Amino acid sequence: MSPEYKLPKEVVEIYEGIKNMSIRGAGKIAKYAVLALMKAAEDFKSDETRDFLRYMEYVGSYLRSSRPTAVSLPNAITYVLTRLRKQSITSVEEGKQIVISSAQEFMRRADEALKIIGELGSRRIENGDIIMTHCHSTAATSVIATAYKKGKINVVYVKETRPAFQGLITAKALAEEGLEVVVIPDSSVRYFMKKVDKVVVGADTVAANGAVVNKIGTSLVALAAKEARVRFYVATETFKFSPYTLLGELVPIEVRDPREVVDDEWMKENKNVKIFNPVFDVTPPEYIDAIITERGVIPPQAALLLLIEDYGTELREVGVNIPTAWEE
Amino acid sequence: MLGSTEVATGSLEIIKDASILCKNTFREFLVDFIPSIVASRPPSQVVENILRKYLEEFTKLKTEKGFEEAVDETQNIVDSLIKELNLVRDLIAEIGSRRIENGDTILTHSYSTTVLRTLEKAVKKGLTFRVYVTESRPIGEGRVTASSLSKLGIETTLIVDSAVRYVMKHVNKVLVGADAIAVNGAIVNKVGTSTIALVAKEARSRLFVLAGIYKLSFETVFGELIEQVFLEDINLIIPKEKIRELPNKVRVSAPLFDVTPPEYIDAIITERGVLAPQAIPVLVASLYGWPPKIKSLKELLDEVSKN
Repeated sequence: MSPEYKLPKEVVEIYEGIKNMSIRGAGKIAKYAVLALMKAAEDFKSDETRDFLRYMEYVGSYLRSSRPTAVSLPNAITYVLTRLRKQSITSVEEGKQIVISSAQEFMRRADEALKIIGELGSRRIENGDIIMTHCHSTAATSVIATAYKKGKINVVYVKETRPAFQGLITAKALAEEGLEVVVIPDSSVRYFMKKVDKVVVGADTVAANGAVVNKIGTSLVALAAKEARVRFYVATETFKFSPYTLLGELVPIEVRDPREVVDDEWMKENKNVKIFNPVFDVTPPEYIDAIITERGVIPPQAALLLLIEDYGTELREVGVNIPTAWEE
Repeated sequence: MLGSTEVATGSLEIIKDASILCKNTFREFLVDFIPSIVASRPPSQVVENILRKYLEEFTKLKTEKGFEEAVDETQNIVDSLIKELNLVRDLIAEIGSRRIENGDTILTHSYSTTVLRTLEKAVKKGLTFRVYVTESRPIGEGRVTASSLSKLGIETTLIVDSAVRYVMKHVNKVLVGADAIAVNGAIVNKVGTSTIALVAKEARSRLFVLAGIYKLSFETVFGELIEQVFLEDINLIIPKEKIRELPNKVRVSAPLFDVTPPEYIDAIITERGVLAPQAIPVLVASLYGWPPKIKSLKELLDEVSKN
């Protein structure tokens, strides 16, 4: 992309950081993206209002291109730019103020969101419940830790989460909170499900139909929970809801390096064995009892409500302009 | 983790060697060795059943011709039992391979020599199919299965246990072995099997269990539950560099087996044919009477001890 505008150093650094994955995790990516918008706005030198609007759109699509698969990134950018577009600004100064204040608002909300999710989610947990969780999610951890602090629960089963063992990050965090943590292999999920009362997991992306894209194995846990009539909750900030799925887009599922599963030596000895290592899977909405967000506990099928609230009915906001049934 | 039939043949070989090398203490050896090998792997029914069969023949010979003679005959008893086991496995593989069709995508879990033989037979018949293998944590013996299958020239893909639902949509048959068959048609096998069965059911993929009748747990007829084995040593489950980062109070719990209910099993393929799991008691009744007249290992070992 040949820049039409010269961007401030911080913006370029954030772009690079997201691209080379030194800035990782859906929440962090989102916060850095709005920070970059803020820096870009502050740096704008002309008084031409139309030019400012064009410039901000440019910065938005520049940042969006840094990591096409993480939905929190375009969502954070849209959060700020929608607010700018909605106001018919009369001066650049006014525009800058809108960008800065909505960026700050986004960051503040993201921090608050985790606390609110913890509080709302913990209300769904009853005294003496045994909880199971999969992978590592700050939002899910917040729910479990809050329930523990309220004295409701004591024991949590944490799935190891192959191939990269992210379950151990959760195990560490929850043990440090004081919970009794039992790490179990992923294969034993159905065996243990009978002993569990509630499952709480996080999300990487929530689709418009309420399907949840999360670490591989999540849908398996959901199915085992359904079979055992164990409640299955997804804890997530609403900036992980994907407006693109509203346009029929599929959520891309990354397939990673086989070396996460077996080592080099094994691969060399077994050249003919393929290794398939998908990172995420899709949990259908009918296996999810509720999605716990900072804007309330919703049935997964109501994901659309939050998306319309955020993006309006004008899907132009998310980069494509097609007529839809409910567009006025 | 070896397949349970391998453990059974291994134990028989040890008995055979002992009958040759330590004739004088053979009585004590049997009384000591048999309960300990059975206890080492409680759910592996084939071990118990094959040793029971050996003891039945041994005590029969002992009564007819005396102890010495029975010891001398042990080699022959063992050889014919192993031959029979192999024959049974071949029969199952033959019957099982008939369920495989060109273009199938098969999924298997853990390590089972019966499954391997079945797939090998199918390859020899000229069938083309592909196989997904789960790594089968804890222990990860699925890697050995994947390695063996690829050496047979089968297109083999290894996945983590968690990816089983992701791939199930592309799988039309699941083949697994069994450590034990309960009288209600439930099967006990490496942990994860029941999860896979559930996923197969959801995706309407067929699940076949390949197991000889010698895996039947007669005790379940009398209401016994099959015993579970847990790995609780964190070092056996979590990579070393990861353990260091964990607080001491974090526990691990890794059961080695789970129970797949009969309603998730399309058929159990035995040397006596392809059976609905619920038909197991019918077969047992026709083979052993009902309730099955089976002597316990303890009764048989008491007979061995008697002069």
